[in-house]
Amino acid sequence: MKILQKTNLEAYEKAKRLGSKKTVELIKKKGLTGRGGGGFPTGLKWEFALKSKGERFLIVNADEGEPGTFKDKFIIENNPELLAEGILIACHTLSIKEAYIYLRGEYNYLKDRLERAIKNLVKKTKAKSDIKIVSGAGAYVCGDETAIIQSIEGKRGQPYIKPPYPTDAGLWEKPTVINNVETLANIPLLLLDNDWNNNLRLFSLSGNIEKPGVYEIETGTNLKYILDMVKPKNRIKAVYFGCSGGCIPVKDIKMEKESVARCGCMLGCSSLIFVDEKQSIVDMATNIAKFFEYESCGKCTPCREGTMRVLNLLQEISLGNATKKDLQTLEELTYFVRDCSLCGLGQSSMNHLITALNFFRKEFEERCR
Amino acid sequence: MQVTINNKKYRCKEGETILDAAKRNNICIPTLCYQEDFKSSARCRMCVVEADGRIVTSCSTKVCDGMNVFTETEKVLRYRKLNAELLMAQHQDSCFVGNKNHDLCKIAKDVGLREVRFKPRKDVMMDIKGSSIARHNEKCIVCGRCVKTCKELQCVHAIDFASRSHHTHVTPFFEKSLGEVLCINCGQCIINCPVEAITEKENIDDVAKVLNNPKKIVVAQTAPAIRVSLGEEFDMEPGTNVKGKMVSALKRLGFDSVFDTNTGADFTIMEEASELIERIQKGKNLPLITSCCPGWIKFAEHYYHGLLKNISSCKSPHEMLGSLIKSYYAKKINKNPRDIVVISIMPCTAKKFEAARKELKNSVDYVLTTRELAKMIKSKGIKLRDLKKSKFDDPLGISTGAAAIFGATGGVMEAALRTAADVLTGKELKKIDYKGVRGLKGIKDASIKIGNKKLRVAVVHGMGNAKRLIDSGIKKYHFIEIMACPGGCIGGGGQPIPTNNEIRQKRIDAIYKEDKSLAYRKSHKNPTLIKVYKEFLGKPLGRKSEELLHTSYVKRRLY
Ligand code: SF4
Ligand code: FES
Repeated sequence: MKILQKTNLEAYEKAKRLGSKKTVELIKKKGLTGRGGGGFPTGLKWEFALKSKGERFLIVNADEGEPGTFKDKFIIENNPELLAEGILIACHTLSIKEAYIYLRGEYNYLKDRLERAIKNLVKKTKAKSDIKIVSGAGAYVCGDETAIIQSIEGKRGQPYIKPPYPTDAGLWEKPTVINNVETLANIPLLLLDNDWNNNLRLFSLSGNIEKPGVYEIETGTNLKYILDMVKPKNRIKAVYFGCSGGCIPVKDIKMEKESVARCGCMLGCSSLIFVDEKQSIVDMATNIAKFFEYESCGKCTPCREGTMRVLNLLQEISLGNATKKDLQTLEELTYFVRDCSLCGLGQSSMNHLITALNFFRKEFEERCR
Repeated sequence: MQVTINNKKYRCKEGETILDAAKRNNICIPTLCYQEDFKSSARCRMCVVEADGRIVTSCSTKVCDGMNVFTETEKVLRYRKLNAELLMAQHQDSCFVGNKNHDLCKIAKDVGLREVRFKPRKDVMMDIKGSSIARHNEKCIVCGRCVKTCKELQCVHAIDFASRSHHTHVTPFFEKSLGEVLCINCGQCIINCPVEAITEKENIDDVAKVLNNPKKIVVAQTAPAIRVSLGEEFDMEPGTNVKGKMVSALKRLGFDSVFDTNTGADFTIMEEASELIERIQKGKNLPLITSCCPGWIKFAEHYYHGLLKNISSCKSPHEMLGSLIKSYYAKKINKNPRDIVVISIMPCTAKKFEAARKELKNSVDYVLTTRELAKMIKSKGIKLRDLKKSKFDDPLGISTGAAAIFGATGGVMEAALRTAADVLTGKELKKIDYKGVRGLKGIKDASIKIGNKKLRVAVVHGMGNAKRLIDSGIKKYHFIEIMACPGGCIGGGGQPIPTNNEIRQKRIDAIYKEDKSLAYRKSHKNPTLIKVYKEFLGKPLGRKSEELLHTSYVKRRLY
């Protein structure tokens, strides 16, 4: 796997030689895009930051909260030096004196390992940046950039409306670059490797399969091909793209942003959860709805009230207490929550249900009176 | 910049929101969490519109050139209705057909909500331990207006959100009661709540009880600010002065005597102006800061211990009058003060807390807000409009224009200046309108020449403005008036809802009109007051005055 390569500060030295402008140019040219799910061009983000005035901050988003996603953990566990080098390059290139790694609360056991790797590299390079690890407190919504900022500032982890964008006014109102772990880990690789290619991604594969784990796969690979690799136990009925990406029935389809979007889903950070025919989609939906109901930050009406009412309705449906009219109410709610929620959490919280009602509607109807 | 709204083109300004643009052109969009003069938090999502094919909240989305907005598409209407339905279910109150005070109910009606398909929630939380304010969290729809008001307008920070998901609720820290924290009881949260989830702690029942007790002599006194607002509760134009009808209504409710708190205000001026002159002559503890506002007093007791010595030791007007009723008046009518019950009708929730302070015994027993009085009048079926006018009772009935303007921001300052100027110059000055301290500007700063002396004064209203003024340094001033509520008492937390700047201004205008209409316009010219000093009190700041009309403050903790 490329992501396990040891770069031994060669990339850092190269970035130093190139200087800020050329490094950012190179990143732009190679086409690195964010791996947290949004897919924003990293070079562009860095360029915005370079243009901003005054003190800047870097936040490393290691709050991998999406269910079925564990690629960032894989990197921190197996190659923390690569991430550390990526961070140092970012700090050097963007003249950042203070960086925060926002580490998911559940990953606390990895803190020491990461800290050691960083200390080592800082010592070796005599870099002047101060890199702190901040533990998340277990809120899914803190995967959102603006909520992370609030959380690090010691406030309630709640997103706010952009603009201002973090690159203009982020942490402590100062320009802030927020990058995902996998994104930063790719920086050293891209600087050194001429064959580096933005399509090579880490996929988190899990579900009713014999061989779950992190795979390095090119985007665009056919789903059927991936299915062969992971050895399903039974016939796979559906694939979920994490909890927030929605689901599709298994078919011939390329695992890339556009094809997946055509089915009404989001590939996001490439997490596939395989569900076989023994499972009920209604149960899946209820489970996921419970997750979103629990994780809503409570700020806006659609997400706060909507997710709760959706869960209640789904529970009634699973118990066989619901009518067709309830199913209608449920569907009405899903679109309302998707279109009217304030942040990405609420907006994407209904994807699973909207697609499930689209592809597996019969399963819901069968349980209704 | 040009924006198309509902197929019509409008010129728009850079940086304004879709809502601003729509409002200016009389296009109606329902809003709930949005408050003028505050940054939008966009939490309620009621104001959604379709802009360039996307659903956005109009209160937070800025217009851009060529934008195409639809405010009433089928989708938008459907979403607003569903939103109202969810909030109604959360609100747990089936009042959506009636209550005209509830913004949410108004919206529910406008969007055509007939039925709520969701069950009410079960968690009921109430906070009624404080003496001024009660919170009914089961009705709260977490719109955050109270939180923003408390934080940004008042800078008090008594409440915030806790928990998450649908458990999110508004609370003082650690689920304490408002009565246990640094809440200053100003009640601005009440004025801003769209669903009456926060209200005054009602004393209607207590008052009804004493009114029914034949052994008690029940005396009412009414604040300067309520005569110009009470009418609003009875569908009259804001700024209608209902003084005479109000007195009649109180008599009908069974009060034995009705006095005017304005008379108390004249005493306050006599004492406070004397204090000001004394401090200026001695050059000690300047600036003098007013003490009529119990919200401000508690704010200082929590946040500004260093300023307590600057605050005038004068009791607030209704407490002065309360003391005089239980001493001077009791003697006059030959009654035991213990058989007299004094009820103050105030525009203010903080006065409830004030009346319960242990430093202020033997004066006011209960405080009712303007809204509570209206409720009592309505519940007795009294039609305020149709009542004949009556006069306040003697011997504490006459008051001056100086007292009348206590109800508006800048009023106490102006009243004090009218008296202080006469005393300092030894003349009877004709020019008594101090326009520089009037009006709704947040911080008013003026230099005033009295004889050969120059006084630097400041007037602030709204706790946030007070904080900004104090933090910017106040050594340069001689006298500062501070009121916790925007607009002064006419914008108090106990006033009719809605209270907004337009309505505030109308109430203020009515008050200055009353000032102009009165025979006496300087406190020290009030014949009642002259008589009471002569017969009973002696002189301002004398021993008896100190005992009956002055008080002290305590240091309180932040948490
Ligand atoms: S108490 Fe009223 S103003 Fe405060 S959040 Fe609840 S509904 Fe809004
Ligand atoms: S009024 Fe715009 S979101 Fe609440």
